[in-house]
Amino acid sequence: MLALLPQLVVSGTSTGMLYALIALSMTVVYRATTVVNFGHGDMVAAGAYAVFVFGLGFGLPFLVAMALAIALLFAAGFAAQRMLLQPIVAGPHLSLAMMALAIGYTLRGALRLQWGNETINPSRPYPQDVYLFGNVVVTTDDAVICGSVLLLLAALFLLLQVTPLGKVIQATFQSQRGAALVGINVPLFHALMWGGGAALGALGGVMLSLITPLTPDLGQWTLVQGFAAMTLGGFGSLGGAVAGGILLGITEKLLGFYVNTVFIEITGYLVPILVLMLRPQGLFGRRAVVRV
Amino acid sequence: MSRRLFWLLPLALLPVPLLLNPYQQYVLNTALLYVPVGIGFNLVVGNLGLLAFSNVAYFGLGAYTSGVMMVQLGMPWWLTVIPAALVGGIGGAIASIPALRGVRLFYLAIMTLAFGELMRWTYIRWEALTGGSMGMAVPTATLFGWALDTDRRRFYAFLALVVLLVAITDRLLRSRFGRAFLAIKDNEIAAAAMGIPTDRYIVLAFAWGGAVVGVGGAMFAISVGHLTPVSFDLTELIRQFAIIMVGGLASLTGAIIGAVIVTVAPQVFISFPGFDELVFGLLIVLVILFLPRGLASLLARVHPAFVERYYRG
Repeated sequence: MLALLPQLVVSGTSTGMLYALIALSMTVVYRATTVVNFGHGDMVAAGAYAVFVFGLGFGLPFLVAMALAIALLFAAGFAAQRMLLQPIVAGPHLSLAMMALAIGYTLRGALRLQWGNETINPSRPYPQDVYLFGNVVVTTDDAVICGSVLLLLAALFLLLQVTPLGKVIQATFQSQRGAALVGINVPLFHALMWGGGAALGALGGVMLSLITPLTPDLGQWTLVQGFAAMTLGGFGSLGGAVAGGILLGITEKLLGFYVNTVFIEITGYLVPILVLMLRPQGLFGRRAVVRV
Repeated sequence: MSRRLFWLLPLALLPVPLLLNPYQQYVLNTALLYVPVGIGFNLVVGNLGLLAFSNVAYFGLGAYTSGVMMVQLGMPWWLTVIPAALVGGIGGAIASIPALRGVRLFYLAIMTLAFGELMRWTYIRWEALTGGSMGMAVPTATLFGWALDTDRRRFYAFLALVVLLVAITDRLLRSRFGRAFLAIKDNEIAAAAMGIPTDRYIVLAFAWGGAVVGVGGAMFAISVGHLTPVSFDLTELIRQFAIIMVGGLASLTGAIIGAVIVTVAPQVFISFPGFDELVFGLLIVLVILFLPRGLASLLARVHPAFVERYYRG
């Protein structure tokens, strides 16, 4: 039993990296705008479908299709914030949450209208292979997902810490009003972050399509897993989203193997409930204190 | 809605089945059963102002309670309505636990969303009772030995139930309960400081909302005749959200208008899967942008009789 532990951790880490990317893309939007994007799962799904359309439909090479899909989702996220969320940005939380949810449903409806309920298995752009390290099996999928997410995380870290744009992002994350006072165009920043979040999500969708077939309902599952990872790591913490995602992936596999296979399906539902009841700030978040 | 109008509407509906073919009757029944679903949802989201996304869970609990009791215990449908309300209400009370612990806003939305999905997973996995993803057939309903085997017969049973639920909820909102809900919605801390036991009212709103929705579920069970877990997924959630958003938040009239629109609109495009999601999504977007108080506010502007006065005497 225990001999399988390293294998479970490895494959859990691979899935977890994916959750981490999705949770990170949701956190970016949340931190920038303090709006939780309930339609994010469907943006991820839309990204996966866009790659499929550009790649198979238009016959473009995989990387070009991916770049186009990411650009498309960036534009969609940007436009959604500009046209639909900015007008009600001062409104009640419920309207903002509903608006995001409704955008997601519109996307999902469009996907279902086009592809029905059938599942699509996009072909991989590389030959699937397995590597053996001792008795641990690593598939090319695992390697590609882990490699790309790590690369992306490094790039994002550099962007945040080194570049001037990173300074702007950090400043606005800290205080919207303060950022506005020093001359940062906060509404534009919100729109850019919505675009950025959607683009990151689209990248997650591309990798998701490597390991799971595409259906229009992909977004539902993605949203719940993303929330689970976010709450586990600490809502609104960038590092927490990554750690929470990886931890969620591993936990899912371990519980599924050692306790009961049903945990593979329900860990994502249980984690947000348990974490918010027992330790609302998650593992790495800061406890929110509200001034009355 | 003013009192007299409230009683006129069901009276006007009484002869309507004579004019409808079976299909139209089925659509009208569906609209009718979504009225309590909208009202229960509105109670928590509209009147109390809490972001609870677990309405579909109560709906499913009510539907499965009714269906399972009819199949496993051989009970007549009318005897299962109250258990369906009870189970729905208990579901509501459970969903209110995080709210009592101070979980609010998006956090509450995420927890209740996860709760609803967990319930759907339970329907799939508890195959002995629910038939799993294949679903379960619901036997013909009876009402005091009278078979509710046509949509027209079900219509009158539904109408009576819906009138009862709307009347009770209307009374509830006119009482100190309704005023307490409003106080909590406006400023929870101030409400608590004024001596309103906010926790008790939050549980009450969730439980009563869950019970009303549970009855809607029991009606749904016999109306469709076949329960599958797919009926209680996130697509159903957007349908129910569309009811209260398009109809109007915190408005009984709104829930009624919303139920009719959300049921009738997709019938036109029923052969295109996905179209309903697209239409509901766009409807909600448009309403939030241009008519934040929903269609009920439009109606209230047309004639003062439609203005809902709950809080002024």
